Amino acid sequence: MKPHEDKEFYVGYTEKAPPGIAKYVRLHVILMLLAVAATSLVLVMSQRPPDPGVFEFGTYRNFEGWIVEEPFPMLRMERPGRAYQSPTHSLYTLVVFGKFSANNAVKGLNGKKVRLKGSMIYRDDQIMLEVSDDPIEVLEDPGFPKDDLFGRDLGKITLAGEIVDSKCFLGVMKPGNLKVHKACAVRCISGGIPPALVVKDKEGNARYFILVSPEGRAMNKEVLDMVAEPVRVTGKAVGYDNLTLLYTDPRDIVITR
Amino acid sequence: MGLNYQAVGWNPQKKVYDRILVLGVLLYLIVFIVGGFIFFPTATIETLLIRAFGTAAMVLLHIILMIGPLCRLDTRFLPLLYNRRHMGVTMFLTALIHAFLVTMQYHAIGDANPIVSIFTANTAVDSLGGFPFQPLGFFALIILFLMAATSHDFWLRNLTPPVWKILHMGVYLAYLLLVGHVVLGVLQAETSPIPAVAMAVGIVLVVGLHIAAGYRDKVRVKERAHGTDYIDVCGVFEIPEKRARIVSMSGERVAIFKYDGKISAISNVCRHQNGPLGEGKIIDGCVTCPWHGFQYRPEDGRAPAPFEDKVPTFRVKLRGDRVMLHPIPNPPGTPVEPAVIGVDGGRR
Ligand code: HEM
Ligand code: FES
Repeated sequence: MKPHEDKEFYVGYTEKAPPGIAKYVRLHVILMLLAVAATSLVLVMSQRPPDPGVFEFGTYRNFEGWIVEEPFPMLRMERPGRAYQSPTHSLYTLVVFGKFSANNAVKGLNGKKVRLKGSMIYRDDQIMLEVSDDPIEVLEDPGFPKDDLFGRDLGKITLAGEIVDSKCFLGVMKPGNLKVHKACAVRCISGGIPPALVVKDKEGNARYFILVSPEGRAMNKEVLDMVAEPVRVTGKAVGYDNLTLLYTDPRDIVITR
Repeated sequence: MGLNYQAVGWNPQKKVYDRILVLGVLLYLIVFIVGGFIFFPTATIETLLIRAFGTAAMVLLHIILMIGPLCRLDTRFLPLLYNRRHMGVTMFLTALIHAFLVTMQYHAIGDANPIVSIFTANTAVDSLGGFPFQPLGFFALIILFLMAATSHDFWLRNLTPPVWKILHMGVYLAYLLLVGHVVLGVLQAETSPIPAVAMAVGIVLVVGLHIAAGYRDKVRVKERAHGTDYIDVCGVFEIPEKRARIVSMSGERVAIFKYDGKISAISNVCRHQNGPLGEGKIIDGCVTCPWHGFQYRPEDGRAPAPFEDKVPTFRVKLRGDRVMLHPIPNPPGTPVEPAVIGVDGGRR
């Protein structure tokens, strides 16, 4: 036994600890508090930096455009100064509060011109609206401008990337991808949020391919097992305005982990 | 004295303990959240809260696990152990907030029950890299809950000490699950090696201190052959006054106390939470446990009235200045005549 152990004996329910023990504990508690603060600082600083997307949570604006119901709800809007730009329109994907698509909100409105209230979610060239609970207002119906919603066939391609739920990845959650976020991505895609294949080039710039079935229908439950994993996907890419859809058979999605 | 030795109620030492505990947790959380927004202005508050509470709980768990072996290595750390129960409950609550926020953020407002979703959203159990780490956190939380809920001495009594002890060894299982939760979870998505290094440092500290304390214990307490007759265990002079020497016979530990010219031997294992009575001291004529101050009379192993705890006693006698111990324990609370130094042949 060390000598100090004989001299002093600590009993917790006494008024005061013996002076030698008290001094020793005080010093070590101060050191521990410093270590705790340092650990906190090191852990917070070493996190993967948050993703750059933006979610204008709580801020609603009015948007006017044409509803596209299939393969998933979108709002097609004219871009200002359309004559000089390509594409001339933008497609905003539509979702509602929580982990759900806007299927119910836009039911029966395909091709109609509407005014709706929504919060913007955006990252790179991708824009999404979280549609508010307010009723969607149908405007005088000029018909759907089908004439210029042409798909641009980009051919059959094979891409390596990660399948994310477009809502979280574009800005609702940070992190909005990889394993920490996987369960949430599964819930969102299962709830109808369009799954997007994110492909990064060497500079880290992202390109987005929204996955649909070979017949061009929404594809959600089919991809759940492949979400948030490194995957290689083969499909036919078709561009619509600012969006690119990848027509893919789920069997052509391979986890490469 | 005696009456408040049950470690119930708040006393001045516990108040100081709890204040520092709360201060420490707040310090950690504030540094994390304020630091988070300074270094990453575009971070979201939800993620910072989730991470602040999750890592705070993990840091607390490491401290809790380190206190035990630290006290065995140096008894001056014992004040940290005295109220460790409150640290455990605080750690559980901190972890609960993490789990609640995570479940709200990642599982709620979706097409499945949030708790069910913890288990069904990821089922890649056949892959290490893809392994569902969230159920590991869930199971750990259940264990921590059971421990926090039964941490009071009331439960210790009602569950009986052996059951309680097994339940509270669950902290090691919880630790293992949580290491998995972190290694298979957040570490799979980080880009900097620092979080992984921090986890490794934590594991090395916890495991290393346990090994060091176990080794020290082995060196200090020599194992004796178990017989059926008195055995020579030590010299009278090897025992400091009002203190004990611990001997071990086939794994059973005995504390041999010297006090007021007498020698008595009782089991080394405190009835409260198995504290080492042989590292205690005789105060007011009673063996006082170094952990939470339970007391036993050295002559019969019984707590002073009104308490009823009792520990096994052992027969002792002196041959010259050697202490002779009978290795068969008496039933708890059996009175044994102390060996009197000087009369039984020993010198004072
Ligand atoms: C129902 C139980 C639990 C669930 C569903 C859960 C879920 C999660 C999730 C999803 C993450 C990744 C969060 C992120 O970084 O974006 C995480 C991280 C973490 N969890 Fe848990 N967890 C649970 C219980 C616990 C418990 C009991 C602890 C105890 C200490 C804990 C400690 C941690 C730590 C230290 C991290 C890493 C830091 C962080 O990323 O937040 N978790 N947990
Ligand atoms: S007083 Fe708690 S273990 Fe002895």
